[in-house]
Amino acid sequence: MTEPTRRKSELTAYLSHELRNALACIQQFGNILVDGLAGELSGEQREYIGIMLENASKIRSVLDSALDGVPDPLEKCTNKIERASGLET
Amino acid sequence: MDSRKILIVDDNADIRLGMHLRLKANQYETFFAADAFSGVAEARKHRPDLIILDLGLPAGDGFTVMERLSQIPFLAVIPVIVVSARDGLGNQKRAYDAGAKAFLQKPVNDAELLAVIRQALGEPAGTKKPTLHDQGSV
Repeated sequence: MTEPTRRKSELTAYLSHELRNALACIQQFGNILVDGLAGELSGEQREYIGIMLENASKIRSVLDSALDGVPDPLEKCTNKIERASGLET
Repeated sequence: MDSRKILIVDDNADIRLGMHLRLKANQYETFFAADAFSGVAEARKHRPDLIILDLGLPAGDGFTVMERLSQIPFLAVIPVIVVSARDGLGNQKRAYDAGAKAFLQKPVNDAELLAVIRQALGEPAGTKKPTLHDQGSV
């Protein structure tokens, strides 16, 4: 593995790790609120936290598909962005 | 019946608190450690029924904890569930090889975690309260 590739892999592993931990906290405490473990919520409050949790799930999907489990995650992620934006050559 | 005891070994204080609240709501008693050394020490002290173990820890890592537990007969029998933010590819196999009962990648679904805990403790399925979010109500 070349030095730039190794450094990219380390960076993506670091990013994935940090984002997953932060996301875990968001989901954990969102679910704690929704389940009433910290007191009852109004219907509107539950709805808004539900929106927050749905979007946290979307971030997780992006993480799963773009950053993990590939030899060069940054390259895969870049390719996805290029495809989505029509910039792929 | 006494509460089952679960030791949570994770260097992230927010994760520890969140897991504590969820497990307490499901009638489990929790203990905590924030590094590999304390993880083994707290396991010796409390003799938990189950250990939830992060891999990235100060003073060693989760694999170090599992190796040390395996060398102490009365701790070697405690089921370990690895909950890590690390890539699952290589770490999952390594965790199972080290004796883990399950490997879950963060962020973890509460229902999945509780199901894995119940299974590891030999409790019948569905004895704990699922979350409203896991039931699709939110």
